[in-house]
Amino acid sequence: MDANEEKDLLRNFTQQEYKEGFVTEVEQEYVPKGLNEDIIRTISARKGEPEWLLAFRLDAFRKWQAMEQPRWGHLDLPEIDYQDIIYYAAPKKDKDRPKEIDPALAETFEKLGIPLKEREALAGVVAVDAVFDSVSVATTFRQALSEKGIIFCSFSEAVREHPELVRKYLASVVPSGDNYFAALNSAVFSDGSFCYVPKGVKCPMELSSYFRINAAGTGQFERTLIVADEGSQLSYMEGCTAPMRDENQLHAAVVEIVVEKDADVKYSTVQNWYPGDAQGRGGILNLVTKRGVCRGSGSHLSWTQVETGSAITWKYPSTILQGDYSSSEFYSVAVTNNRQQADTGTKMIHIGRGTRSRIVSKGISAGRSQNSYRGMVRFNPGAVGARNYSQCDSLLIGSECGAHTFPLIQSRCPSAVVEHEATTSKISEDQLFYCNQRGIPPEDAVGLIVGGYAREVLSRLPMEFATEARKLLQVSLEGSIG
Amino acid sequence: MKEKIIDRGHYVEVPVPAGAVVVPAGRSLAVCDALPGPRAYALEAGASLDLCLLAFPGESAGTELTVDLLGEGASASLSGLYVCSEGEFSLKVTVRHRVGGCTSNQLFNGIVAGSARSAFDGRIIVAPDAQKTKAYQTNHNLLLGVEARAETRPQLEIYADDVECSHGATVGRLDEAGQFYMQSRGIPEREARVLQMISFLSPVLEHVPEGRREEVAARIEQTVRSL
Repeated sequence: MDANEEKDLLRNFTQQEYKEGFVTEVEQEYVPKGLNEDIIRTISARKGEPEWLLAFRLDAFRKWQAMEQPRWGHLDLPEIDYQDIIYYAAPKKDKDRPKEIDPALAETFEKLGIPLKEREALAGVVAVDAVFDSVSVATTFRQALSEKGIIFCSFSEAVREHPELVRKYLASVVPSGDNYFAALNSAVFSDGSFCYVPKGVKCPMELSSYFRINAAGTGQFERTLIVADEGSQLSYMEGCTAPMRDENQLHAAVVEIVVEKDADVKYSTVQNWYPGDAQGRGGILNLVTKRGVCRGSGSHLSWTQVETGSAITWKYPSTILQGDYSSSEFYSVAVTNNRQQADTGTKMIHIGRGTRSRIVSKGISAGRSQNSYRGMVRFNPGAVGARNYSQCDSLLIGSECGAHTFPLIQSRCPSAVVEHEATTSKISEDQLFYCNQRGIPPEDAVGLIVGGYAREVLSRLPMEFATEARKLLQVSLEGSIG
Repeated sequence: MKEKIIDRGHYVEVPVPAGAVVVPAGRSLAVCDALPGPRAYALEAGASLDLCLLAFPGESAGTELTVDLLGEGASASLSGLYVCSEGEFSLKVTVRHRVGGCTSNQLFNGIVAGSARSAFDGRIIVAPDAQKTKAYQTNHNLLLGVEARAETRPQLEIYADDVECSHGATVGRLDEAGQFYMQSRGIPEREARVLQMISFLSPVLEHVPEGRREEVAARIEQTVRSL
């Protein structure tokens, strides 16, 4: 391929549109800009929260004030002015029809491919909780789920209707003072999903949350809490998009997962926040704390993530393997292009006997992006016979990007075994040549090779997500041959 | 003396450490030595370095090793073994590929026994445009003893695309199947353990200059027998 052709391909790619970048015109109500105790009281009052939750928020806020923004990430994080953010934005409810969804919102989610009507085509397949800026606008299939005793609703509703459950599990995995962004979230969190699967129940359909940022100048602070009681089973998916804007928007979420004895939870994410333009203007700052605890023996938690969006990603879905013989997996594909930066990975903390974990991370960097894997595997003295295997591969496309690997392995248990391996390389010219020679154009060849490279992870996604993720990968990398 | 360099997600150019041993263009240097103390080497075009570091119980402390590859075609082979039975042992290795076309190879194997704590921190940094770089790093640890702790942090920081880099790290125990095999053939358990420990360290022994190999091998055997 000659230089001109390559340039053309690159240009095509960088001009590619982010198709979820539109804005929905809908009347919204906001709280004033800025962050102080009054704002937190206002948010809490607006959501009609009980006293204990306000106290939790204020306590977190005080902790946050005493903390400093972490700087250890391999990231060029812009200064965030926390007083210049609107912490709560909600579409206005039509007073005449308080029960119905605003047609503009329904249309937005329709356009994003998220069905809010329980249509036949998808009936019995996926239940959705759709979050628009700071509020949940709809949760589908609640009736069908509640027949099995499963609670699936917005976080605010859970606070109203199941306060005992929320109070029991909130901050039990990610304490409010855990880290800077988790503390911020605990102080100002708006909405998210709550899910409780009772003992021995196998969830009959996939549950899913879809997060949409719409309003300008706002941040989104969602809070998700998933509890899988003894012997239950659940597959949960999460998706997200945002409009194209020239300024950064902050997204600081907290996800907590509690997995009790013999329960099995699978958590999948396809993250497609607006990544900013080719010059690195705008985009979402995705600073997220996700953590699960395998509390009971024999429990299992599996993380699968496909990260293609966000200007900056700072995210380490982690598992605390507390129960004996519990196990966890982390499968990740992170793609960065243009000036995106990603610092993502996982932590596996082995506490119980015979605990097992597996990490498979595939990083793909193109353009002028920086993509880092950061991970930790720890064996405490009690983790007798524990086992971990980690594999972190990086693929470089173009000479101006970077790929980095920062794992940390700590073992205090002589009977535990941990293995870590990582490789970094570019797409092999032999493979490209082979494809070209057989009539596959360079772009498709790259897609094919990347698809094969990421397959191990993509094959773990639920069917509904796998197709979308594959498409996203293709779009993200078309024409970016180095 | 340590400068604080703020990493903001980009490549940071740092000077070659003062007092670094310069290996001139086209020359080669072989060193086989005990570990302690900070060391720095700078390799010019076509130069090669073959470094083998040994740390036995009692003489091990914190060590920092820096290797800068400054000229095309330079190659560095770094290897080392450490056996610790008490106290803290730390080894920090930084290899900077500042120009393209260089090769570096690292192999560090360690046995951590008794109440010892070991920390290996290895970093390979490939500068932008340092194309055709080949860099490999391996760190294996055997953890023997309920009070022992091992920590390893193999890191890759790569800013060029036409590279071949890999690292591998393990922390584990003696292979039970191998022990059973030996015991079932009449080798006592203790002897089987010693043999396994020696074989675990032997890949590093191959990097010891031939003239000293026997002496070092004897030292290794004597040390693992006393664990």
